[in-house]
Amino acid sequence: MMTILQKIQKIFAKEFSVPEESVKPEASLESLGIDSLGSIEVLFEVEDEFHIRFPQGRVEGMKINTVQDILDIIDRLVAEQQPGQPGEGPKS
Amino acid sequence: MSRVVVTGLGVISPLGNVPDDLFARLMAAESGIRPIVLDRPRGRYSNIAASVTFDPAQHFPPQKINHLDRVSQFALVAAAATWTSAAIELRDQDKHRAGVCLGTGMGAANALEEGYVQLLDRDPDRIKPLTVLTVMNNAPAAHIAMQYGLKGPNLTFSCACSSSTVAIGEAYRQIKHGYADIMIAGGAEALLTFGLFKAWDALRVLAIADQKNPSASCRPFSKNRSGLVLGEGAAMVMLEERDRAIQRGARIYGEVVGYSSSNDPSHLTKPSIEAQAAAMALALADAGIAADEIDYVNAHGTGTMLNDVTETRAIKQVFGDAAYKIPISSTKSMHGHLLGAAAAMEFVIALLAMDKKAIPPTAHLDAPDPECDLDYVPNHGRHGPNIRNVMSNSFAFGGTNAVLIARSATS
Repeated sequence: MMTILQKIQKIFAKEFSVPEESVKPEASLESLGIDSLGSIEVLFEVEDEFHIRFPQGRVEGMKINTVQDILDIIDRLVAEQQPGQPGEGPKS
Repeated sequence: MSRVVVTGLGVISPLGNVPDDLFARLMAAESGIRPIVLDRPRGRYSNIAASVTFDPAQHFPPQKINHLDRVSQFALVAAAATWTSAAIELRDQDKHRAGVCLGTGMGAANALEEGYVQLLDRDPDRIKPLTVLTVMNNAPAAHIAMQYGLKGPNLTFSCACSSSTVAIGEAYRQIKHGYADIMIAGGAEALLTFGLFKAWDALRVLAIADQKNPSASCRPFSKNRSGLVLGEGAAMVMLEERDRAIQRGARIYGEVVGYSSSNDPSHLTKPSIEAQAAAMALALADAGIAADEIDYVNAHGTGTMLNDVTETRAIKQVFGDAAYKIPISSTKSMHGHLLGAAAAMEFVIALLAMDKKAIPPTAHLDAPDPECDLDYVPNHGRHGPNIRNVMSNSFAFGGTNAVLIARSATS
């Protein structure tokens, strides 16, 4: 079973042609060539992939700068929205 | 007042994506109108249209295609061709004096329809997050401006059939009046969607498909004309301040000398002779030339009963006796009605006619309408005539009538 990070790597590769190996937790989205519009698309794909929904409203307040930020949010939302699904262990 | 010349051309057309090829095929009276079949979730839809051969994957990486409606894809590729043709390299200081004016009628029709199908048919909770940015009508112009770093005017015009005449005319004014030195201008349209086909059909202005020869379904000025045929594509010109163009040794396709923009407030769709004639007369006045100095008119010539007879009468009113001597053609008989891109396509064709001393025909004109009795260059292109000035007419649903006049670079 794929880890959350692996799933994120797949999304980045498919949607933005970013090589999977460069999608590391500490990598900033900017360094991967993903701008503010790109991050909105990332969140859209993440919602589908993990069956979660981000709270309505501004994404800017979420402070999504690095891949780790995305992993943390997914962890939190999966725990909140899908209580039956345990986390997938250490993320990195 | 600055003088304005055309130093580049680019097209995505139902008759090919190279201006010289398009022109050669028009001269041979070849039609780009063909049967089209759209796959829909609830069955297939068939009609006729002037569609283009265009593979976005040849021009854009996959992730970029997701953000570009077909209309923006057309616009970017036509702009790239125009840029190459003009061989312009912008220095940083030039970019503040360089801009874009673009026309489109229906904008990002494909992405908009796809968005509605997604929301209404599939999942009311899921629509692509960049849909707004994809479907906004100024997206095509914005992408062009970003691609080339343009910092001058970035304007989009939407006035149906005359959108791109207005775009080119307003770009000409930007340079003429000193606000810019370089303007890429034209139109893009990608409206061949199921919803828009049905909507145009419901308006009862689309031509009935010719059963024997679908490519001959659009017959402007013909007695048996039955309406317009929708087309898609893009056409652009590079407009440049004349001294600058001469200094850099640019190839000049012609000089834009006249433009008019006026309105027909009498009816949403029904054209009037007076308003069409006024549009042509205003453009002649702007150019400062007499009607008999025009040697070719690319007519609006939609192939609807009402337009063609009205336009004929309006031409007679403006040109007087000269009306019978001036070759006039409707190239829509071959490239269809590209709505927001139609006028730019026709202006490019008129420039090429002047440049190549050749007049493209009105195709499928075997049974002339007695009410339309001018020289419409039926079925066969003419080679050889010296063309001093060309006029390109556009008369729109909604009332915006616009006319462009260009002068030969060698006259």
